[in-house]
Amino acid sequence: MSTFEMVAAGLALVGAVIFAAGVIAILIATQRRPYNAELAPIKGSPAQGVLWAFTLGMAPWAKESGRIHWIAYIRGVIVHLGIFVGAAYLIATPWLAQMPEPLRFSLAALFVVGTLLGLAGFWIRMADPTMRLLSTPDDYCSLALVTLFLASAAMSAYTMKYLPAFWAISGITMAYTPFGKLRHFIYFFYDRVFLGLAFGRRNALK
Amino acid sequence: MTSTAITEQSNIASAKEMLDKLVDRRVLASLEVCVRCGICTESCHYYRSNPKTEHTPYYRAEQVRRVYRQFLDPVGRTFPGWFGAKATTDEALSKLAEIAFASCTLCHRCTFECPFGVETAEIMRVMRSVATATGHAPEMLVELANAAIAKGENPDFFRDFYIEQVKELEREVQDRLGSSKAQIPVGQEGARILYVPLSGAHTIVPQAILFNVARESWTLSMFETANYAVFLSDLPKARRIVERIIKEAELLKVKEIVITECGHGYPAMRWDAPKWFGHTFPFRIRSILEVLDEYVRKGRLPLNQGQNGEPITYHDSCNLGRKGGLYEEPRCIIRAVASDFREMTPNRIHSFCCGAGSGLVAVPEWTDIRLQAGKLKADQIRRTGAKIVITSCDNCRYQIGELNEHYGLNIEVTSISELTAKALA
Repeated sequence: MSTFEMVAAGLALVGAVIFAAGVIAILIATQRRPYNAELAPIKGSPAQGVLWAFTLGMAPWAKESGRIHWIAYIRGVIVHLGIFVGAAYLIATPWLAQMPEPLRFSLAALFVVGTLLGLAGFWIRMADPTMRLLSTPDDYCSLALVTLFLASAAMSAYTMKYLPAFWAISGITMAYTPFGKLRHFIYFFYDRVFLGLAFGRRNALK
Repeated sequence: MTSTAITEQSNIASAKEMLDKLVDRRVLASLEVCVRCGICTESCHYYRSNPKTEHTPYYRAEQVRRVYRQFLDPVGRTFPGWFGAKATTDEALSKLAEIAFASCTLCHRCTFECPFGVETAEIMRVMRSVATATGHAPEMLVELANAAIAKGENPDFFRDFYIEQVKELEREVQDRLGSSKAQIPVGQEGARILYVPLSGAHTIVPQAILFNVARESWTLSMFETANYAVFLSDLPKARRIVERIIKEAELLKVKEIVITECGHGYPAMRWDAPKWFGHTFPFRIRSILEVLDEYVRKGRLPLNQGQNGEPITYHDSCNLGRKGGLYEEPRCIIRAVASDFREMTPNRIHSFCCGAGSGLVAVPEWTDIRLQAGKLKADQIRRTGAKIVITSCDNCRYQIGELNEHYGLNIEVTSISELTAKALA
């Protein structure tokens, strides 16, 4: 392992530690907040509500907004798919040499599409006056980090010589995640569960 | 330091304290999960009726989110420019109060159109609490809430006058039913149902007719279900207003509280009150819609659809439908009592707010805002070709009545109870 590779791997490990510590801190802080449990007698089903929240409740075709903003929806789905696959790919990179070439090239193709759609995110954010007004430096930084993450994942999947760059960028992205907008991935699960529990109980999810 | 500066400091301290107290896990999740993607934009009736940045749900929520970042998020407070945290002034609180009270009807429609399910209405509800605690809430709503509490503290002062008025309504019920035996009982111990109306004969007479025809064991509440403290998000006051009815139900030993056709009154009593009190109650709480639906299904009312032959449509009140789960009950009743029912599109969980929800209708200076925000509903109604619009919320009813005049819809607005009473064979 070259010095550059060792530094990159070290960055990835430090990033992973900061990420893990940050996520734990966020979970503790969130759990310390009060939880106002619903006490009224059940009319529907909270469990079915939660199931709905993670399935049909997220289906773009079931929403008017999904039909109006179908490009943004598809973009969002592919970028997030790329990030999740990218995270799994990151864990698998120590064994990248053993990965079959067709699989590596397929992953590279997915990451390239994700990268292009990540770049499109900048255009979307800057082109819309309201989004431009409400965007913070954190929004652009987070978008830049995930786009770089996907781009470096694509390059390293195509040719292993870029693997240290992917590790380094992954480390920086992971280290930043608990502090900025990227931490929304933790709250996503909270939000969907609360939505399903509250409205499922009321039998309102039809 | 001047007294104005002291007041401002005190208000900002109160705002921080309230925010810290009210941001529970559910609200925190909504504050943190938004990525400002703008997909919610067209879900709001304000935006659809008047497309501008300030009318987008994510703009509104973001204004509160920036204060939250300053007060409660250590990272945001450390790097305010980077994360969009914003220092608060009394003037800014006043502006936030206006956003929370006049630019959002807490209808929750945007939640179900958002890919993440951000509950902007819950964020606005917290902001309303902050505004109320810092003296920025609309005076009219504060006065109405205080009046309800005063009535609860002095029921004997109102009792005789109220009973006298009810006797007049009882005569009207007897005339309409052609029976001197029809009654509107008040304070009857041991009755099965305690029926809680709103102020106004239209929430007493038709229901009394239906209870009498169904031979129900019932008694009329001394109090009305309207709870303006809910609009203020002033939970201690909201609890006190509900408590009047809870105590009355306990005193009369009823089996069930039945809430009239009231958008906010039903979810406040049915869904929120147990949280405010920290326990459930020894009686059932239902909407009159559920009771009438049961009567229809069990054949307890002799009905003739022919009495309501005009084309009819139904407006889903956000509080009863999307937030209360009452979608099918009103439709079941309408289908039983009317021959030409036409759905509005979209409806049920996707229904648009009429533009007057969550207290807007009570504040005269917001009339123009709500009439403009109601344009979408007016267009929806017009597309159905209906001559009669049914709604089960008094605020929606008032608003649609005004939309009728403002947009020349040429419709009649009525309630399920009135429509059902009219269909009695």
